[in-house]
Amino acid sequence: MPGSSTSISKIQAGGGRITLSSHGGKAWISEFSATYPLKLLSPRLSDNTVAIVYVLTYGGGLVGGDCIELTVNVESDTKLLLLSQGSTKVFKDRPQQRLASVQRSDYASRSTPGQAPATLQIMNFTVSSQAALFLLPDPVTCFRSASYSQIQTFRASKDATLVILDWITSGRKSLGEDWVLSRYYSVNEVLIAGKRVAKDVMLLENNEFNSDSRLNRSLAEKLSPFACYATVILRGPLVEETIAQLTTRYGGISIMQRKAPEDLLWSLSSIGSDKENGVVVRVAGKETEMVKDWLKNTLRSLEQHIGVDVYRRAFV
Amino acid sequence: MDDETFLLLLLPDSNLPTGSFVASSGFESYIKHGFGGDQNNRTIMFMRDSISAYARSALAFVSDTHRIVQDKLTNYTMPLNDVTKRASKSQGVALLTLYSKGLTPPLALTGVKNREETEIEVNSYMTSLVSQYKSLVRAESAPGHLPICWGILTSALGLTSERSQYLHIFLHARSLLSVSVRLNEIPYNAQQTLLHISRSVIEAEVVRCKDLRTGIPSSTGTESDQPDGVDDKSRGPANTWPLGEILAARHDLQHSRIFNS
Repeated sequence: MPGSSTSISKIQAGGGRITLSSHGGKAWISEFSATYPLKLLSPRLSDNTVAIVYVLTYGGGLVGGDCIELTVNVESDTKLLLLSQGSTKVFKDRPQQRLASVQRSDYASRSTPGQAPATLQIMNFTVSSQAALFLLPDPVTCFRSASYSQIQTFRASKDATLVILDWITSGRKSLGEDWVLSRYYSVNEVLIAGKRVAKDVMLLENNEFNSDSRLNRSLAEKLSPFACYATVILRGPLVEETIAQLTTRYGGISIMQRKAPEDLLWSLSSIGSDKENGVVVRVAGKETEMVKDWLKNTLRSLEQHIGVDVYRRAFV
Repeated sequence: MDDETFLLLLLPDSNLPTGSFVASSGFESYIKHGFGGDQNNRTIMFMRDSISAYARSALAFVSDTHRIVQDKLTNYTMPLNDVTKRASKSQGVALLTLYSKGLTPPLALTGVKNREETEIEVNSYMTSLVSQYKSLVRAESAPGHLPICWGILTSALGLTSERSQYLHIFLHARSLLSVSVRLNEIPYNAQQTLLHISRSVIEAEVVRCKDLRTGIPSSTGTESDQPDGVDDKSRGPANTWPLGEILAARHDLQHSRIFNS
């Protein structure tokens, strides 16, 4: 009997738990709970070695003060695909709390005096032996003056597979938002067999810091001309082929002096000095669609592990 | 002249054998990929973004290492791209070698009467610490990255943490200007002017990043820095310029290049 949790933990507002277990060669969701404003959906699939969970928020977005904390266990011999439905929209800080009957967590209650609390999303993943986690959400979009922190920790076994996509877009084009968020902080920490192999931290801030305005660079200027930045961490047996393909493609690129930047740029790098740690891919594109298509094509060999129909649900 | 002033004159010597002259910090790649518009503004634009990004990603390591030279050092697990990793490691090791081979008091002087006994002890302790760390690096148990080695070197030499931080960022800025000259981006005589203009940028970034920590506990065991605890106001190293990161990583993709990174 899978002992994922011996007692039902007290759930805070925005808390959630997912456990995918294996029994008789089939994957089944043995734990599945979420409290407002977090919402989880899991469609029934024909392939029963894979499960899909959509991670959503009521209202389709997060506002200041929201705190989402999700714990995910992908047990041995199972494959979990985590998706979202549409970009995770983060709205500006707002002083009032959401109305919810469930007690807000400690984190959300804390705030700097005089300042509205920021939005926080914490995800803790455990991926066991011969298991695979495909975290392929839509990108985060921080609207004007939004402040967002995301902390993702992945604890994986030596023979587990991880595909971690973390990406952000520049804002609502229709409103002329071009990197006008206040703060975006995202951490992806990867531990393999208990040992930390990577801690990728991205911090994007707009702050009028330098008094000399000539030297002050806005976020839009620093990141121009790209409207979408993505980071993908790949490691494990099921992505060996993808990594090999990427390595070959990357090695074949040769840059001559250009007059202006390309529409899409990507880089490939190993993580640490051990091949087992995997690779990190970074992509920047002038439009989100371009990056999406690039990712969809690049990760296509995942179809052989999760099936064409399941893969199709990612990057819609 | 006090020790610290002398060190400040000695360390920024452009002839210091650390191999930094082959590293462009992604500037060559930036230009090759068509970024920065026309030549007039390219250097200052790149400098502005690079100094800011570098300070945010490296200074916490300089500070922490400087502070706890005796303790076991954290593994630098911010995933640097392969190109930057290469440059950082080679310059790091060169700095350590510089210390052992160049900056410790020469053996001939250790017998000089007016040297304090404790000073000699401290020096030999530092020398052995540095060579121990070098062995770890050679055995690949420690990464030996540049900001860490800089922290070790300056701490061993007795430079204050503030000076060490400032000098590290200053040298990064100065190196970018040398690179710019070699790439024919700016005329030779523009170097000093631009360095002067960069002063406020350097100062601003050092002030902004001087209290960052990597999250390892201090030797006294009282601090429990958890840069990613929920109280965090993100006081740790971070990548603040993803574009710079991608271009630095793509350095090796240039068809022809004069720099190593």
